[in-house]
Amino acid sequence: MKDIRFDNVTKSFPTRSGTPFVAIRDVSLAVAEREFVAVVGPSGSGKTTLMRMAAGLDHPSEGSVRVGGREVTAPGPDRAVVFQQFALFPWKTVRENIAFGLRCKGVPRARQDEIVAHYLKLMSMEGTEDRFPHQLSGGMQQRVAIARSYAIEPDVLLMDEPFGALDAQTRTVMQEELVRLTRKEPRTVLFITHAVDEAVYLADRVVVLARDPGRLREIIDIRPTREAEDWDSRPIDQVMDLASFTHLRTQVWRLLRDQIRPDD
Amino acid sequence: MAFMTIADRAPHPRELMLLSVAGAVLFFGGWQLLAMSGAVSPQTLPSPIAVIGTAWQLAFEPFAGHTLLQHIVASLGRFAMGFGLAAAIGVPLGLAMGRFRLLDDIVSPIFEALRFIAPLAWVPFAALWFGTGIGGPVMVIFAGAFPPCLINAYRGAKLVEVRLVEAAQTLGAGGFRIMAEVLLPGALPSIVAGLRVSAGLAWQSLVGAELIVASAGIGYVMVQAQSNLAPAIVMAGMLSVGVIGLAIDVALRRAERLVKSRWGQA
Amino acid sequence: MHGLPQAEPTNATIRPGAAARRSPGWRISRRVRIGLASLIGTFALWWLLTDITGVIGPHRFPAPAEFWAAFVQIAIDGYAGGTLITQAWYSTRLVIMGFLVAIATGVPLGLLMGVSHRAEALLNPAFLLVRPIPPLAWIPLAIVWLGLGDAAKILVIWFAAFVPSVINTWTGVRGVDRTLIAAARVHGAGELRLLWEVIIPGSLPMMFTGLRLSLQASWTTLVAAELVGAFFGLGRVLDAAYRDINPPMIAVAMLAVGVLGALTTRLVAVAERRLIPWRS
Ligand SMILES: Nc1ncnc2c1ncn2[C@@H]1O[C@H](COP(=O)(O)OP(=O)(O)OP(=O)(O)O)[C@@H](O)[C@H]1O
Ligand SMILES: [Mg+2]
Repeated sequence: MKDIRFDNVTKSFPTRSGTPFVAIRDVSLAVAEREFVAVVGPSGSGKTTLMRMAAGLDHPSEGSVRVGGREVTAPGPDRAVVFQQFALFPWKTVRENIAFGLRCKGVPRARQDEIVAHYLKLMSMEGTEDRFPHQLSGGMQQRVAIARSYAIEPDVLLMDEPFGALDAQTRTVMQEELVRLTRKEPRTVLFITHAVDEAVYLADRVVVLARDPGRLREIIDIRPTREAEDWDSRPIDQVMDLASFTHLRTQVWRLLRDQIRPDD
Repeated sequence: MAFMTIADRAPHPRELMLLSVAGAVLFFGGWQLLAMSGAVSPQTLPSPIAVIGTAWQLAFEPFAGHTLLQHIVASLGRFAMGFGLAAAIGVPLGLAMGRFRLLDDIVSPIFEALRFIAPLAWVPFAALWFGTGIGGPVMVIFAGAFPPCLINAYRGAKLVEVRLVEAAQTLGAGGFRIMAEVLLPGALPSIVAGLRVSAGLAWQSLVGAELIVASAGIGYVMVQAQSNLAPAIVMAGMLSVGVIGLAIDVALRRAERLVKSRWGQA
Repeated sequence: MHGLPQAEPTNATIRPGAAARRSPGWRISRRVRIGLASLIGTFALWWLLTDITGVIGPHRFPAPAEFWAAFVQIAIDGYAGGTLITQAWYSTRLVIMGFLVAIATGVPLGLLMGVSHRAEALLNPAFLLVRPIPPLAWIPLAIVWLGLGDAAKILVIWFAAFVPSVINTWTGVRGVDRTLIAAARVHGAGELRLLWEVIIPGSLPMMFTGLRLSLQASWTTLVAAELVGAFFGLGRVLDAAYRDINPPMIAVAMLAVGVLGALTTRLVAVAERRLIPWRS
């Protein structure tokens, strides 16, 4: 397993006017091995940018991003990404999409089929393996994208609002599923979301970002409460009714609300 | 201008059908009558019936060394080689240029500098370098067919969503796999459209090359007939060139539609 | 290809700290620099392979010095019956004449077929027959009819440029916004005014696409026709140089064909910008 470290990371983008646009300013953040960190923040606070730098798709203008102690220079299969827009290959079937990373790794054909079948079952998507993405609902597409990332068994999972496109019911099922999965096979997870409930329910720690420029606002520790009250073995609706959960959720919500402007 | 109907409803389909039939009858009938009337000699304008008769005859009787069918086979072989070579080099190069900026910057100016040279102007060098048998004509066909293959693959690759390339990268795909499994399928609609244009140019360059340097093929038949002052044979050659060109176009049009229907949702 | 919209630069290639220092014009100059380097590299390679190492023999491709000598020879003394300027002008004149005849006949016919479904139905059968025959295939017939002189060349170029002119004008007319036509009618425009002020301007962009294709076809066809048989022109130079096994002269003639093709294309682009000022 590997950890993720952002050290004094600043990211600016060149603009037409010449003065660079600062998307992220001086963020330091460490995600420990097997830790689940959720990032919340208003739109435009640099959540996606943060994740892209961990993935190696963008590079910090200043500071460093390290995964497993090594500076990130390029994307690699040790860090799987679930994109905000699913990014499924439209010309590949569900099966081919999920197997893509396995083929890159050189996994034998028979084993590929096993793994694909395993994740299709896990995502309750059996029977869809020969469909093309455009023949699936948005929620199903997102599940395929998640399965595709899980299938390569990465050390680090980078998820950018993976449940954003799901309906409330599917979303709940997927959240429970993700808890089950990550507790069974713990991975280092950087999980980006808009939904405060989701962040508090899933994460060991919740990172709250502020915007203009994107920067770190606060980090809230959830894990002690989660373990003390044994959230993981309870159904999600029960957890969300607990006083401790509501308390933490309100805490995060306040931090966010303070900076939300009328135009949001 | 009572016939102007663009903004109004089209005339009844049956009327249009009748007009089309009338148009065909007028065209062929006029041509036939003109030829039969003796106003122009058959040494200048053979009748349509004579042309078809000549084509039929040439199918069995050798002219310029072979029967028409054998000439057609020779032409199609050259066409397949030149066109295949252009696609096999142009498409991967175009995709790679769409992906790697440095390659784009290096190749583009050379390509631009050569692009305006008419493909047929390559005939002398082609003949000098590769002879007048197969190699020379194939090179001329290649010169005609190459640019649309390259340009459309390049444009297609540029239009593939960046996110898909990034997804492939994060899943561990290397440069070759990204080209073969992401850029190629993503650019396929554009590539197929380019191949259709390319095939048309290849076919026409082939005819040109065979007119100038070849010892077999439809173009050769036509140029031999020209020096024998046999316009019926020339026109029979034109007829076969047109029919085969049309068949190639129809086949590729079909491929284009197939690709569009499968990729259309992308 | 330089005109294509380029995708935004991927940040994957930008090293840490470098992004902020870059001026917006940086990329363009990099592109030009690499392009120049590429052309110079090609030139150096040419020189290396011919003059210096002799990997490519003089009977296959000329060395730079031979190329230059051939250029001077044809420019001053002439070759195959004329100097470069006279030969080039001879070919260009034929292209322009054939091209103009094609526009003068093709555009009206395209307009007619676009505007009137009945005219389209009547003319389509003949057109369908002629259309798939590549222009180059008319060359032998043109020679049988008219011999090796100018008339045959103009006829062939006319065929080459005619088909794209008709098709694109026709498609252009069919693509004119119906609501514009309706609006013009509502304001009481007569048929002629409608044609002149709505339909023709509306189909101009498509027409120009046709013209550009026509021009390319014209050059290709002329070169082929002159190679098949001619008394003057760049194709004649190519043919004579081929028969003399004179690679430097072949290269000079090819270059001239390329330059003229590019120049005339440019001319059409300028005309397009003049005639369609409302398109950026
Ligand atoms: N490639 C880029 N070039 C220029 N600006 C960019 C680029 N990528 C992101 N930005 C800017 O950086 C800021 C942060 O963007 P980012 O996508 O990280 O936000 P986010 O927190 O993920 O928002 P959302 O919740 O809407 O997904 C935004 O203001 C955005 O406009
Ligand atoms: Mg985002």
